[in-house]
Amino acid sequence: MDPIIRIDHVSFSYGEASARALDDVTLSVSPGDFLGIIGPSGAGKTTLASAMSGAIPHHYTGPLFGSVLVDGKDTCAVTLTDISQVVGSVLQDIDTQMVASVVEDEMLFGLENFGVPHSQIEERVIDALETVGIADLRERDIATLSGGQKQKVAIAAILALRPRVLVLDEPTAALDPASSRMVFETLRSINRELGVTVVIIEQKVALLSEYASRIAVMQGGRIALEGTPSEVFSHSAELRSIGVDSPRVTRISNSLAARGLIEAGEPCLNVREASLLIQNLCKASSPAPRAAATAGADRAIATAHATAGADRAAADAHATAGADRSTIASPGECGMAESPRRPAVKPGASPVVRLRDVTYTYPGGGASVRHLNLEVYPGEFVGLVGQNGAGKTTATKLVNGLLKPSSGTVEVAGLDTRTARTSQIARHAATLFQNPDHQICRDTVLDEVAFGLELGGVDAETARERARAVAEDFGLPLGEVPFSLSRGQRQMVALASVVVLEPELVILDEPTSGLDYRECMTVMETVRRMADRGSAVIMVCHDMEVVSDFAERLVVMADGEIAAAGPTHDLFADESLMKRASMRPPQVVELANELAHTVSPRFLGLYEVLDVVSCTEELVLHG
Amino acid sequence: MVNVIDYVPGTTLLHRLNPVTKIALAVALIASSLTADSPIVLVSLLALTLAASAYAHVMRQVRSFLKLLIPLSIIMFVMQAIFVRSGTPVFLSITNEGLMLGLMVCLRLLCLALPLIPALVTTKLTDLANACVEVLHVPYQYAFTFTTALRFVPVFSQEMNAIMEAQTARGVEYDTPNPLKKLRLMLPLCIPLLISSVGKTDATALAAEQRGFYLRTRASAYKRYPLAGRDIAALALCVGLIVLGIAY
Repeated sequence: MDPIIRIDHVSFSYGEASARALDDVTLSVSPGDFLGIIGPSGAGKTTLASAMSGAIPHHYTGPLFGSVLVDGKDTCAVTLTDISQVVGSVLQDIDTQMVASVVEDEMLFGLENFGVPHSQIEERVIDALETVGIADLRERDIATLSGGQKQKVAIAAILALRPRVLVLDEPTAALDPASSRMVFETLRSINRELGVTVVIIEQKVALLSEYASRIAVMQGGRIALEGTPSEVFSHSAELRSIGVDSPRVTRISNSLAARGLIEAGEPCLNVREASLLIQNLCKASSPAPRAAATAGADRAIATAHATAGADRAAADAHATAGADRSTIASPGECGMAESPRRPAVKPGASPVVRLRDVTYTYPGGGASVRHLNLEVYPGEFVGLVGQNGAGKTTATKLVNGLLKPSSGTVEVAGLDTRTARTSQIARHAATLFQNPDHQICRDTVLDEVAFGLELGGVDAETARERARAVAEDFGLPLGEVPFSLSRGQRQMVALASVVVLEPELVILDEPTSGLDYRECMTVMETVRRMADRGSAVIMVCHDMEVVSDFAERLVVMADGEIAAAGPTHDLFADESLMKRASMRPPQVVELANELAHTVSPRFLGLYEVLDVVSCTEELVLHG
Repeated sequence: MVNVIDYVPGTTLLHRLNPVTKIALAVALIASSLTADSPIVLVSLLALTLAASAYAHVMRQVRSFLKLLIPLSIIMFVMQAIFVRSGTPVFLSITNEGLMLGLMVCLRLLCLALPLIPALVTTKLTDLANACVEVLHVPYQYAFTFTTALRFVPVFSQEMNAIMEAQTARGVEYDTPNPLKKLRLMLPLCIPLLISSVGKTDATALAAEQRGFYLRTRASAYKRYPLAGRDIAALALCVGLIVLGIAY
């Protein structure tokens, strides 16, 4: 079949910029594909999407080499309007995508413009809304919708135009795991039932690997890898060097392969596959008569130890857990693992944060939090999780004094937030917001980092000196204008201005959203070091893998209340709690839970790639 | 404050009128109150506006707007009463003419500001824009610019809130009791706001173009906005109002 989009040796740079955003890219998309594009930030993913949707060369201008053919026509030769009848695109910032204030009008806009006969419009609107599953939202005001609903409206509005290709730029960046999955489900049904080709830029590897039929990995404006999810994710090490994460279960199967327990090749892409793989592996090697399928495992036993591959894998898996963990589970050691980091809590220390029966209701009604009780001690790393709208952000605003409790008391570093000014609290508690652009307001990086200190009453010279030390430590360009930096670097500037304060409490609101894997790890490592130095950390985060790696205590919120609080991995392992809070535990915990039931109780309580791999190896080798 | 002009759903006559007619009514009320010289006429115009709002169940929006307007009109009244010197003194230096003028100024302020509120809150912005395109032959580009600008108001105010919160959490003293200091602290925030708004408008332009913005003609709109009998009646009322204003 002829490709619907053919990109042939395309290079592009924005305006006068000398750096190439796309560098000799060749790629073709066939009708019916579900293509995922992934890569570190600045790799050219959005630029590639713009080239496919015709925004390049029609909206963004710059020298363009090579050719982009959409449905056989060169995008330079036809207008953007013509291209967009074939390729519908959903932009990154959903608020800017919307042109109307009511869902119905949003749906009508494109249909009216493209001159769809008025007799067909009603049918098309209903079809699109039903496909996406939001027929009940037709009369709603867009401003009152949740992030996930807005995303669906945007998709439905494009879908009503019946494009043959749908290009989406990080549609799930602002969504919780449940809504992200729903968006992918919607895309899958559009792809399978309507035959619409889907091209999606996405950072969530676990979702991509499950839903995409092909994946292209970008790096520095080029396509570094391309193939089916299995092909791409079997290159774990290469992906890591590019700065792209692999799903945790994929890491497990790759590590097993590297240790020679299974044959290298098709890696597992989801928990079910991994569970089956390990079940078969363990069953095959059990003392009972071996089935034919054990040929691979037999060979594995012979070579498992002492191969260079195994060593590399161990080092590998260890490094990727994202932690300078103090213990490496040696092969043969199996069983309950320790908490991800030993909290630096001193016995008898008084809590930095104390919430006592805190209730808060927004003046206009809407979301509220009820009866929150929480104490956080110096050096503790607390993860605050739950669905969108569960009250996590409200809880953090109550802690940093942006909101004052309706009843109950909030104490931060001994200050009652109801009587203390927010600016006073700010000297003890620093917040890193989801969007760094909201907090950046100075002309140079150095001034920006020093700003918080100056506000706290440190004299200008000392402040700049301390800021310089921290900013240099982060490798930031001191004299640059912060807004001229990349998104990831702006987040680092914001982080540096939190670190320099040496606060008693750090509050993080989705610190990893919009960052690629490597930036995410840098941010999290920095925060961990702050916790080690004695800062208390409260982190709101949707990425359960990150929470599992870094937080030793978990607070689960649901419907404005704290549903549970306790050691992270105990709560993740609690299936009924996860269900109640509409959450999914990290892949490794889910896998270990399943294996504990089906294979051996020794898997119970494991939460790291390395531990599961070692445990499996142990079972295979020694029964 | 922004929510004052948010659409309030309903099925009253006022809701069902053609958006253009509603605006015409509001404009007629305003024009009439500008030309009228009698406080009785002004009071009746005001009463008509309030009655229409009450009928359309939008008094809540009108009230929240009045909360801003009434202190302002009282100040105007007091100023006129104190500073107008002509006429016979009634109390201390306050003259009857001063009182009269003050009354007129304060009534006129209310009459000028209020009529647009019920007209706007009973109309969806897209309906207003589409009706202007269809009935008044306003070029669609202008109508789109207008609705987009209004639609962005809450988006930007959210953005501004987020920025203020982030800065407050950093320790900028927006909670200072000194309003001058607060103003000085707010100025630097214009930069992040400006940067994000330029980005957003550019993205919106792209999104609109990718959905065929340039193909749109006057006949594109799916919904039609014909002038019905009730609209003709309302337009006659407009003429009546203006005549009333000029006559008295």
